[in-house]
Amino acid sequence: MKPIWPVIAALLLAGCGVQPSGVTDGGKAPSGVAPGVTLYFVDARGELRPQLRRTGHLGTISEAMSLLLWGPGDSGLRTQITSNKTTPQVVVATAPGVIQLMVPLSIHEVTPLGIDQIVCTALGVHVQGGGSRSTKVQVRFTLHTPESDKKRACPVIR
Amino acid sequence: MTERSEGTDRQGTRRLWPRGLRARLVVAFVLVTVLGAAAAAWSSAGSASSALVTSTQQRLTETIAGQIGAITPQLTYPPDQVALDRLRAAVGAETLVTYQNLRSSDGTAAGLVTDALRTAVRTKHRLVTQRIIADGRPWLLVGTPVTITAPNGARTPSGIEVYSVRDLSGVEQQIEGLARSAAGTAALALPLAVVLALLAAGSVLRPVRELRDTARRLAAGDLDARSPPQGADELAELTVTVNEMAESVQASMAAMQRMQADARRFAADVSHELRTPLSTLTAVVEVLATTTGGMEADARESARMAITETHRLVRLVDDLMEVSRFDAGTAQLRVEEVEVTRAVRDCLRARGWLDRVELVAPQEVSLRLDRRRLDVIVANLVGNALRHGEPPVRVRVSASSEQVRVEVTDSGPGLPEHVSPHVFDRFYKADAARTRTPGSGLGLAIALENARLHDGDLTAGNADGGGARFVLCLPRELEDR
Repeated sequence: MKPIWPVIAALLLAGCGVQPSGVTDGGKAPSGVAPGVTLYFVDARGELRPQLRRTGHLGTISEAMSLLLWGPGDSGLRTQITSNKTTPQVVVATAPGVIQLMVPLSIHEVTPLGIDQIVCTALGVHVQGGGSRSTKVQVRFTLHTPESDKKRACPVIR
Repeated sequence: MTERSEGTDRQGTRRLWPRGLRARLVVAFVLVTVLGAAAAAWSSAGSASSALVTSTQQRLTETIAGQIGAITPQLTYPPDQVALDRLRAAVGAETLVTYQNLRSSDGTAAGLVTDALRTAVRTKHRLVTQRIIADGRPWLLVGTPVTITAPNGARTPSGIEVYSVRDLSGVEQQIEGLARSAAGTAALALPLAVVLALLAAGSVLRPVRELRDTARRLAAGDLDARSPPQGADELAELTVTVNEMAESVQASMAAMQRMQADARRFAADVSHELRTPLSTLTAVVEVLATTTGGMEADARESARMAITETHRLVRLVDDLMEVSRFDAGTAQLRVEEVEVTRAVRDCLRARGWLDRVELVAPQEVSLRLDRRRLDVIVANLVGNALRHGEPPVRVRVSASSEQVRVEVTDSGPGLPEHVSPHVFDRFYKADAARTRTPGSGLGLAIALENARLHDGDLTAGNADGGGARFVLCLPRELEDR
C-alpha cells in the first residue's frame, strides 16, 4: 500500500507545470539584411544582368521598382523599360504565392525583356527578404491587356 | 513479553489494513476510484498542458521571427548601434541583439540566455528555442541569427544574433488551473465512491450477517432457525447449504430423541408390566419361605436362592421404575424441614449398619429437603462402600453457609482411574468378572439423580488415605417447586 502514494504524487507533479527542455529547433532563421538592393538590367549582349545598388539596406519592392524605373545610370548597362522619369510609383500588393505589381506603364512601353527586369527585381527583393523563390509575379499594366493576367517567373532566379 | 509484542504487531496490522469486510470493500472501492480518477486527470492535464506549452511556444516564436523579418529590410548593413537598437525595439522587451562587438540589450534577458542556446545559434544558423526555469518561473528562450539571402536563395550568416526571453508564467497558471479542476473533479468522485462502496458492501454483507445470525441460533439449539436465500449468487448457495445442513441435523436430532423416548418408555412399560407378576411371585416366595423347615437340604438351598433372587428382582424393578420417573421428568420432590444428621443416623439404623459405619456429625444441621430421597442417596452410597470397599466406612456430615456436605469414605483401595468417570453410569460394573453382586447396578445413578433433583451434586473421587470417597453437596437455599 505505502509506496503508491509518493508515486502518484510524483506522476501528478510531473504532469503539471512547464518543464524545462533542451535546445530545440524553431524553424528557419529570419532573413532580410543586405548591403543594398539588386536591380536587373540588360547588358550589351541582350541578357539580364544583376546590379547591386549599395543603398545600405534591402528596402521594399516598391523602393526597388522606383530605382529600377529610374534607370541604370552610367554603369554601361541598359534598360528596356521606357520611363518618362517623372516620380514613378509602383504599387505592390502581395497575395499568397503571388506578388502583384501595378506599374505606371502600358504594355507598349516595355519589351518582354523589360518585363523580366521588373519581375526579377521584385522577386529578388522578395527572396532576399526571406520569401519563397517559387513565388509568381503578376505585372499589371495601365492599359488593359491579357499580359496583365500572366503570372510570371524570373528566368535567372530559379 | 513476547505475547505483548505480538499483540501490538497485530494491532499495527489492523490499523494499516482494516479487517472488517465493509471497511475493506470501502477502502478498495475508494482506492480504485481515486486511482482511476487521478490517472485520468493526470493524463488529460498532462496532454492539455503539453499542447498548451507547444502552441504558446510556437506563437511566441513565430511572432519574434515575424517581427525580425519585418524590420530587417529597413536595417542598414553592416549595422551600426542605431540599427541594432531599432531591431531590438522591434522585437520587444527582454531582448538582446549582438553584431560582432556591438550589442543592444534591454531588461535582464542577457543573463538568462544559456551557453547551449548561443552555441546552437552559431552552429545551426537556424532559429532555436529552449525552456528554462529561473527564479521559480518558467521562461522561453528564443535565439536566432539573421541571415543574408542572396537573390538566388543562398543563405549566409550576417553576424547579427537576436536573443529574446519570454515569460511562460501565464501558461503555467493556465496549466495549474487545469490540474486544479481535474483534481477537483477527482475529489468530487470520492464521496460518490464511498456511497457506492457502502451500498455494495451492504448488499454483500446483509446476507452474510443474516447467515451468521442463523448459525448462531442453530448453535444455541434453535434447530428451526433458517435464513431465506436471496438471489442466485454464491451467498445464496451458501444459505441454501446451511439450511439443508440445519434440516438434516434437525431430522437426525428428532429421530434420536424419538428413539430415546421410545427406549425409556419401553423400560418404564417393561418394569411396570413386571410389577404385577412379581407381586404374585413375592407372595408365593413368602409362603415358600415359611415351609423351608420341612425340606431336605438341597431343596432348602434352592428355595433360599429363589427367595433371594426374587427379592433382588423386586428391587431391580423398583429401581428401574424410579429411573424411568427421573427420565420422564415426573420425579416429585416432597420438601420438609429435616435434621440431616438424624436422618442419616435413622437411615443407617434402619438397615442395621450403625455398628459397621462410623458417623461423624459435629453439629446439628437443619435443611429443607426430601427425607425419602436423602435416605435413598445415603443408603446407596453406604451400601456401595460396604459392598465394594473395605471397612471402616465413615460418614461425615458438615455444613457451611452455602451448602451441606455428606461424605462417605471407605478404607479400600479406592476407585481405579478408569472407573471414576463411569461410576454413575447405569449398570456399570467396575469388575467385569464379578457380575453377581447384590446391587441392581442403578444405585449410584439414582443417587446422582436425587442429588440433582435437590439442585445439589454428587461427586466420586479418592480420599487422601486411599479409599473411595463420595461427596454429596446440597445447597442451603432450595428453591421451592
